[in-house]
Amino acid sequence: MNLALWSAKTGLDAQNTQMAIISNNLANANTTGYKSQRAAFQDLMYQNVRQVGAQSTQNTQYSTGLTLGTGVRIVATEANYAQGSSTTTSNPLDLQISGRGFFQITLPDGSLAYTRDGSFTLDNQGNVVTASGYPIQPAITIPVGTQSVTVGNDGAVTAVSASGKTTQIGQVQLADFINEQGLQNIGNNLVIESAASGSPQTGTAGANGLGTIQQGSLETSNVNTVTELVNMIECQRAYEMNSKAITTTDQMLEYLTTNLS
Amino acid sequence: MDRGLYVAMTGAKQIMQAQAVNNHNIANINTVGFRADAVSFVSQPIYGPGYATRVNAVASDAGTDFSSGVMQSTGRDLDIAVNGSGYIAVMGSDGTEAYTRAGDLRVSVDGAVTTAGGQPVLTESGPLNIPPATTVTVGNDGTISVVPLGLNPIGISPTDRIKLVNPPQRDLQKGSDGLLRLKDGRKAETDPTVTVTSGVLESSNVNAAQSLINMIELQRLYDFQVKSMNSSDQNEQMAEQMMSNAS
Repeated sequence: MNLALWSAKTGLDAQNTQMAIISNNLANANTTGYKSQRAAFQDLMYQNVRQVGAQSTQNTQYSTGLTLGTGVRIVATEANYAQGSSTTTSNPLDLQISGRGFFQITLPDGSLAYTRDGSFTLDNQGNVVTASGYPIQPAITIPVGTQSVTVGNDGAVTAVSASGKTTQIGQVQLADFINEQGLQNIGNNLVIESAASGSPQTGTAGANGLGTIQQGSLETSNVNTVTELVNMIECQRAYEMNSKAITTTDQMLEYLTTNLS
Repeated sequence: MDRGLYVAMTGAKQIMQAQAVNNHNIANINTVGFRADAVSFVSQPIYGPGYATRVNAVASDAGTDFSSGVMQSTGRDLDIAVNGSGYIAVMGSDGTEAYTRAGDLRVSVDGAVTTAGGQPVLTESGPLNIPPATTVTVGNDGTISVVPLGLNPIGISPTDRIKLVNPPQRDLQKGSDGLLRLKDGRKAETDPTVTVTSGVLESSNVNAAQSLINMIELQRLYDFQVKSMNSSDQNEQMAEQMMSNAS
């Protein structure tokens, strides 16, 4: 097949994927704890059509060779784990991690997932759950009749009962990964451990390099809409150019078939 | 048989290959640190009995465009761009030392620093590894400083230094994996004058306008070749007609 056409086709493919990633970032510009993604482009392998230095005759060599590139591919999507900005909500169960770390969440199948989204609520048993209803790990249950809940910077959860007595009812633990970029997104603001992320190291907030917990505020999405819009323009133009390259190659072949038939 | 037809055919084929190179550049217009490929035509006379009337045009590598791309600020600590000329040393998939301008680095699970394509970044003494860290900072000269997990920022310690090189451009050539290597297979010397900026990525150096003009030019050249094939065909037909009329 015609390499010129296929090279341009890989460009269209890659720009299309890039656009999907940009759209997803923009769609999540208001998602709590969302981490923006970006595509990593890489050139595809090169074909050596004529080796430089090969013998052109028994006594002479080609002084120049010819290598043809075969296009581009998106080799990875990289998440940007930079801290999002903070928004104050004054809701006692809205928690924000400032610094490294993830909240641990128990999925319905019993396995663990991780999130930066700290907008917790209560279920009908008084358990602290995510907006999707998945309980936090280790589980925290707010007793009936609790007047107020306080979450300390280290994640200690204390409740004031109806009689005015203050008791510690749980502890929010954070997990950290060597390579957070390697975490796998599973939707619902959750990520899970993968072979690339390494295993989670759990600990108390504020200790061993983990971030601290701020009660009453949430971490907003770290999507920079201006950057995304500029990326979108660039992506669109690149798409147009690749499409133009396909049209041109097509015209060349068309010219060939109409004139030599 | 009119052998001019074959000269035009070779021309058309070679121009299509040049178009493929140009399309490859366009496809990589958003690839970080990409260096555009150039192609030129060299004439190759055909020797044989009789006059050397025929000269084929053959597409050849005209090297790589080493001009700088545009610097794009990303704010990510592990994105680095080389200032001016110079390259980051990485290990190619064949285990040899290769050079790239793509500085979108990442840390793998075992602490190895790699490019987005997964090639390990090299120091003077081998692949670069860093301990689990809260923050990773890349200094101007490629020195990596980390705050190990659980330590205060006071615990920041330089761990190693990325190997930065600046061999003469004429000695570099692009391999089939898109990485640059020295033509003679040697390793380039570390150049202490090469500096990097962190939080910035260098874009592809493909010039959109120029690539489009090249594309149009190649298309027209291709049309000429086809036209000349067409003319050869008509000459042949005309000759045939005259011969059949004469008989």
